[in-house]
Amino acid sequence: MRSNVKRKPAALLACLLVLSLMAGCGGSSSESRSNTSENRSSVVIAMDPNSEPEAGFDPAFGWGAGEHVHEPLIQSTLTVTNTNLTIDYDLATDYSVSEDGLLWTVHIRDDVKFTDGEPLTARDVAFTYNTVKEASSVNDFTMLDHAEALDDTTVVFHMTRPFSIWPYTMAVVGIVPEHAYGSASYGSNPIGSGRYILKQWDKGQQVILDANPDYYGEQPNMQRVTIVFMEEDAAFLAAQAGEVDLAYTSATYSDQTVEGYSLAAYESVDNRGFNLPAVPEQTTESGETIGNDFTTDVQVRRAINIGVDRQEMIDHVLNGYGSPAYSVCDQMPWYNSASEVTYDPEKAKSLLDEAGWKTGEDGIREKDGVKAELNLLYATGDSVRQALAADFAEQLKELGISCTLEGVGWDTAYDRAQSDPLIWGWGAHTPMELYNIYHTIGDTGLAQYSPYSNSTVDVYMDQALASSDLEVSYDLWQKAQWDGTTGVTQDGDIPWVWLVNIDHLYWVADGLQVAEQKIHPHGHGWSIVNNVDQWSWS
Amino acid sequence: MKPQNQRRNTILFLIVTAGVLILITAAGMLLKDQAVQTNFARKNLAPSREFLFGTDWMGRDMFARTLAGLSLSIRIGLLTAAVSALIALILGTACAVLGRAADAVISWWIDLMMGIPHILLVMLISIACGRGFTGVVAGVALSHWTSLARVIRGEVLQLREAPYILTASKLGVSKMQIVKNHMIPHLLPQFVTGLILLFPHAILHESSITFLGFGLSSEQPAIGVILSESMRYLTTGRWWLALFPGLSLVCVVMLFALLGERVAKLLNPASAHE
Repeated sequence: MRSNVKRKPAALLACLLVLSLMAGCGGSSSESRSNTSENRSSVVIAMDPNSEPEAGFDPAFGWGAGEHVHEPLIQSTLTVTNTNLTIDYDLATDYSVSEDGLLWTVHIRDDVKFTDGEPLTARDVAFTYNTVKEASSVNDFTMLDHAEALDDTTVVFHMTRPFSIWPYTMAVVGIVPEHAYGSASYGSNPIGSGRYILKQWDKGQQVILDANPDYYGEQPNMQRVTIVFMEEDAAFLAAQAGEVDLAYTSATYSDQTVEGYSLAAYESVDNRGFNLPAVPEQTTESGETIGNDFTTDVQVRRAINIGVDRQEMIDHVLNGYGSPAYSVCDQMPWYNSASEVTYDPEKAKSLLDEAGWKTGEDGIREKDGVKAELNLLYATGDSVRQALAADFAEQLKELGISCTLEGVGWDTAYDRAQSDPLIWGWGAHTPMELYNIYHTIGDTGLAQYSPYSNSTVDVYMDQALASSDLEVSYDLWQKAQWDGTTGVTQDGDIPWVWLVNIDHLYWVADGLQVAEQKIHPHGHGWSIVNNVDQWSWS
Repeated sequence: MKPQNQRRNTILFLIVTAGVLILITAAGMLLKDQAVQTNFARKNLAPSREFLFGTDWMGRDMFARTLAGLSLSIRIGLLTAAVSALIALILGTACAVLGRAADAVISWWIDLMMGIPHILLVMLISIACGRGFTGVVAGVALSHWTSLARVIRGEVLQLREAPYILTASKLGVSKMQIVKNHMIPHLLPQFVTGLILLFPHAILHESSITFLGFGLSSEQPAIGVILSESMRYLTTGRWWLALFPGLSLVCVVMLFALLGERVAKLLNPASAHE
């Protein structure tokens, strides 16, 4: 959801680095670039420097199970998500949950060894989960009370509250060895049982992964995966120079061509949308301003939702590389298609008229002395969000709503978003995101990121979490979005307006066959290599 | 004949330069709304007759943005240079007039400030003051007074021992009177020159910290913002985004530097009649 402020000096350095690499490594460039006839089992990938795991490859400090979730590669997980985002098994052979949802029992394979030769047992699994619960500051494990190994292949999770989507958590937590784990050293020296072994990590530069020869599953096709971290412009130059086989890029570069590469666009649920505070402006007991007198009117929120032309935004800002977003979870198994709306500016205007927002002399609507004005916030330094916000402002002006733009840092953005719309990025492979956005929390009785509350929506989500069957819970998550009478869609409360899902773009070297991708979550990083073991050269 | 001409030329030059700078400032203020106007129908256009400096990725007119940016920089420069110069004058004079202890404290303080890398100091103050416009103004204003203060202190130290000051003091004229009637007029040329020469520094530092992301917010039409945004597009061949705003910044800074030099010549008795 967050993205670090772009660090310019770092960008410059990276640029210089690449230039010097290109200048200095003339002789060895054929070595780093693996697309040669004799060497077709390795791949070099350019990734954003923000993707480099600062605390190393330790699940307790966010590797895989952090802000941006992905498969941990070096470690195995109990479950995995399929391409359609349902659950399959990795280490687990089956799992079951008790009637009250408070006890998960998981059986695991008995033939798995860590790369140091020790067998992986249920004790390692229990140790891992107890460790991440203690240490993880980036992911929420408060639903877990403790994990316990019953024998070598059976582990039980004692929960503090029912949590039906636990299998999605099990899909991102990599299992670490109890006998070789130290919280200080494990991050840079990880031992796992996954498809790859960390061969080398040059901090700030690159990560080299080698295939695990004793892997219990299918042997990885790609024997060596090198990941270099560079800024966007450096990655583009590296692709132009033929230094990498796959380089991340963005819509800014999409009108360029690179010889020997094609532009690949992968669908994502990496969405962008504005929160629309759904309560009147007020000051809380602690002195913070929350709410907004304009967006508190549900008709205003509805008018905005159908009054923006999402396709125009995609064409203008994303050069066509995106899809319209109608919810935080488009295309996920728990997505309710009732969220979808069609662009109808006339209807939007009449909604505003009916609600009493009359156009004034200056073309700006007002009602009872309140002007139809919004101060749109965006994260400074994120050019895509800035451009989306500018386009959004242009479109709202057509409806008679006047907008100003303001760049804010993430240090203040969360507080500011309580009263002004902020452009957010979400999208994850877990329905928990719906809960985080729409469910009320704690004593305020309002949702966490933007003031809103609807007890019916809350109840559906509580039921979904308490459900003992994942399939049934999908249905409840959908009902939380729209149950026929209330919800968070156009006909409901629409406390957030979703704009676009941003396609993740990559320069892919000719001949490299990238395996079918799951819909990418938020974060243009490690998701692409989730199945790097199945990639191939042709 | 010739020295006369030189003097007249200089004055003419000063008027023209000042005129150009005022014009840029005024034009930038008038174009403020146009500078932030986005229009995605005309994005990424190369320079043409309609858009002299081209347009950027949100379809903003770069000519208007550049002028607005320069205008903003000049106004920030004006404000910060004035504040810096005033601090320098007060501290420099205090240093020399208030006696040894005050002199030691202020000199130590000047040394301390000068010991910290300049750009780092600007950043630190800017962040401490909450970034944005106030942050930049505070950062630049509170870090540029040191060298001018030192010059003024030296001048006052020398002046203090001058016969006419000593005489005035023996005749019972109060210290404040001496400062006001005898010292300030003497320091004025130094001060004015120093003030004008602070401009280029202030403008460049404002742009640099904004460029590095510690200054003005990115929706503001500031030169630093324009340049740092343009970095992203250089590799895709949008040279006009960086070239014209960059050149304009250099021109403005050079104009100020020349202005300062010429004023110094004019005010310095030794060179005034060349």
